[in-house]
Amino acid sequence: MSVRHGQSSYRDRTGEFFKIVESLRGSIAPAANSNVPYGNNRSDGGRREDLNKRSEFNRRAAQIGLAINQTSQKLSKLAKLAKKTSVFDDPTREIQELTVVVKQEISALNTALIDLQVFRSSQNDEGNNSRDRDKTTFSATVVDDLKNRLMDTTKEFKDVLTMRTENMKIHENRRQLFSSNASKESTNPFVRQRPLAAKAAAASESAPLPWANGASSSSSQLVPWKQGEAESSPLLQQSQQQQQQQQMVPLQDTYMQSRAEALHNVESTIHELGSIFTQLATMVSQQGEIAIRIDQNMEDTLANVEGAQSQLARYLNSISSNRWLMMKIFFVLIAFLMIFLFFVA
Amino acid sequence: MALNLRQKQTECIIRMLNLNQPLNPSGTANEEVYKILIYDRFCQNILSPLIHVKDLRKHGVTLYFLIDKDRRPVHDVPAVYFVQPTESNLQRIEADASRSLYDTFHLNFSSSIPRKLLEELASGTLKSGSVEKITKLHDQYLEFVTLEDNLFSLAQQSTYVQMNDPSAGDKEIEEIIERVASGLFCVLVTLSVVPVIRCPRGGPAEMVASLLDQKLRDHLLSKNNLFTEGGGFMSSFQRPLLCIFDRNFELSVGIQHDFRYRPLVHDVLGLKLNRLNVQGEKGGNKSFELDSSDPFWSSNSSLEFPEVAVEIETQLNKYKRDVEEVNKRTGGGSGAEFDGTDLIGNTKHLMNAVNSLPELTERKQVIDKHTNIATALLGQIKERSIDAFTKKESEMMMRGGIDRAELMAALKGKGTKMDKLRFAIMYLISTETINQSEVEAVEAALNEAEADTSAFQYVKKIKSLNVSLAASSANSASRSNIVDWAEKLYGQSISAVTAGVKNLLSSDQQLAVTRTVEALTEGKPNPEIDSYLFLDPRAPKSSSSAGSHVKGPFREAIVFMIGGGNYVEYGSLQELTQRQLTVKNVIYGATEILTGGELVEQLGLLGKKMGLGGPVGSTSSH
Repeated sequence: MSVRHGQSSYRDRTGEFFKIVESLRGSIAPAANSNVPYGNNRSDGGRREDLNKRSEFNRRAAQIGLAINQTSQKLSKLAKLAKKTSVFDDPTREIQELTVVVKQEISALNTALIDLQVFRSSQNDEGNNSRDRDKTTFSATVVDDLKNRLMDTTKEFKDVLTMRTENMKIHENRRQLFSSNASKESTNPFVRQRPLAAKAAAASESAPLPWANGASSSSSQLVPWKQGEAESSPLLQQSQQQQQQQQMVPLQDTYMQSRAEALHNVESTIHELGSIFTQLATMVSQQGEIAIRIDQNMEDTLANVEGAQSQLARYLNSISSNRWLMMKIFFVLIAFLMIFLFFVA
Repeated sequence: MALNLRQKQTECIIRMLNLNQPLNPSGTANEEVYKILIYDRFCQNILSPLIHVKDLRKHGVTLYFLIDKDRRPVHDVPAVYFVQPTESNLQRIEADASRSLYDTFHLNFSSSIPRKLLEELASGTLKSGSVEKITKLHDQYLEFVTLEDNLFSLAQQSTYVQMNDPSAGDKEIEEIIERVASGLFCVLVTLSVVPVIRCPRGGPAEMVASLLDQKLRDHLLSKNNLFTEGGGFMSSFQRPLLCIFDRNFELSVGIQHDFRYRPLVHDVLGLKLNRLNVQGEKGGNKSFELDSSDPFWSSNSSLEFPEVAVEIETQLNKYKRDVEEVNKRTGGGSGAEFDGTDLIGNTKHLMNAVNSLPELTERKQVIDKHTNIATALLGQIKERSIDAFTKKESEMMMRGGIDRAELMAALKGKGTKMDKLRFAIMYLISTETINQSEVEAVEAALNEAEADTSAFQYVKKIKSLNVSLAASSANSASRSNIVDWAEKLYGQSISAVTAGVKNLLSSDQQLAVTRTVEALTEGKPNPEIDSYLFLDPRAPKSSSSAGSHVKGPFREAIVFMIGGGNYVEYGSLQELTQRQLTVKNVIYGATEILTGGELVEQLGLLGKKMGLGGPVGSTSSH
């Protein structure tokens, strides 16, 4: 409905306009023909150099915009991959490759954006300030907009990565659940290789096995699954606790190692992203324009202030050229002088 | 599928901002183009309640200007113009094009640009050799301001005065009718529906209705029309009903005080284009925005003010409870059960708390906003004792009169001049027979309060005319003269109001407009509405008698009020949709949204034009 509506509720009259133009061109051709090329030439010559610079800026902005678009497309692909929750068909490799690519692109975009900003400010320094007022605002807004978009993309990237970590943790849980059916005590030793787990070593000994009695029947998969999700953190500690029971299964171990590496990678990427984030955050000036309406009468206020200033200036003028005041002051002075002369001296 | 005017208009505007290119599903243009938006004052009013700067940025608008501002060149950037098709705007565009301020010009007109102006634009740009700059030219049919999902205004000022001006000639009246009809046409195009039109016979409503009917018919004849819905006969169930009324149909609603939140905010604090300026405690001027994005406003605006105050209180308590909850969970200093299991729980809680913070701050902001508004309202209500006015006015309307003592007490008590004047006019409208001595006393009281009595005089004159008209036979009035006709209309309207009062005694308090709309949408034979004009733009002209298929119940209705609408009627019509089963959705519109004071001012202006009332002191001197 909305699509059809969108097509129907306005009318393109460009054709009609140009038909009129054509018919008029015939009638006033002699006058116009001599005029047109001249006018165009003049204006073109006048701002040729200017235009080059402008297009340089615009070109770069467009490039960055396009690149951001592409990156976010890749990102959505990545998100789709990361959402896959099956244990067996795990696209770790692809995800890692994509992550690296996106990461590189984001940092490249970051530097490009900084370049653009530098370019813009250098251009502004050259330009006459009052004449290019609108131009300056325009380019500033473009840069801000790009920054915001990059920021959003980065945020999205971070979210995807966080989701990925969560998913991986859940996978581990599930794996462990199934493998622990065979040998409950021999749960994954891979955790000890993880740097994060080592940090969290100060855990309590009393943490109960979350599913040891709760899901002993393991008839329904749903319950333990949920528990696993909620209790993903205790898992680490618990496995820490079980470290001493080193039952190494070599084949499983290599797999675990690769998984742990993947997790590690993801986490380090998040960390790096965090730094990019803070960098961007300082760059993006919070304009607070979220709720601004276009009719908030900034312009009027400005006009009023200017008006007030001109009024004050006029008043100053009138005061400074006020002869009457000068006369009055003069008379007062004379009077004082008289009084001084007659009564004091 | 309910018609949602606000959403549709926003869609249109976003499409326009994207240079009328098709959008991809995510709602942004496929190709990112940075552009500049230029609008005139009228279009600024259209845009500002619908779209915020953030949205503009999202659609690639970097700069936005009023057209008559001094603008500097920004080369090799396209510019989107959104203006009314007027001569001065076109001249500005020509000047901009000849100075080649921007790379390309995309012109969008709020309504259809006449051929003559198009030719002028063509010749002007051709002469300056800048015709290539203009790449696109569109008619947008967006010449109306949408304030809420179901509320629009044509933003045509003081239509009431112009319509009822005794000195206005036929030509002026026709111009206004034309303007109103084309505004309504824009609304219908944006909704892309062809409604069935009903209106009371005689008066501006009929004129607008028949002109609109004509417009729609002409338009539907052309092959490439804007209404692409499946042609032929559609059942009336899917087509909306357009009811056109005129302010004189029920004058009292526009004047009376009301105690519900939305009308109160509009009437007392001056809500304008969904924006409100309130004097803060420290003298600073605070500005609030009230629209459908504010959950409190959309759920409580139709409640009575005391209920709203209670609601604010409960919201505040709920908020406080939630904050406490968060504090408790994050273990702010409690440390009672601090063992290992809880450490993990704590971090989880902390995460939850952090995640819930934005929502909480948002709620806090909304509560603060409404507390501020309610405080300001309360101050005004106390100062002017609006509650007393509201109570007495509704009593008057119910009983058709009031005790003299109470009347005088209200007129001599608290309240602004305007409040008293409105009260006095309500008294006039509500009483069936004019008690001469009482009216004189009222007049004296008004003069004492130094109120401008011309509006009062005007209504009195109209009422006495009505009485004399009723005495003589009604058909003696010739319709040839527009003045006679207007006066006769007054007579009708006021007798309709007094008739309505009697009905009010039996039924619960409901406005005449609402009752009529209800009857019209039900489509059952009803003596009250049988005389109403029936126009169906889709039906062939020859068949004057309407088929039963378009008489049946209507699910959607558009109610339009010529000469100033108000939030009281809007609220009443929205209530209708909740109460009644057949009507699912009512869109309410008016030439402009007026507060009671503004309408009385227009009445006063009319009174002055008729040479009544005059300056304040003159009537009181003798």
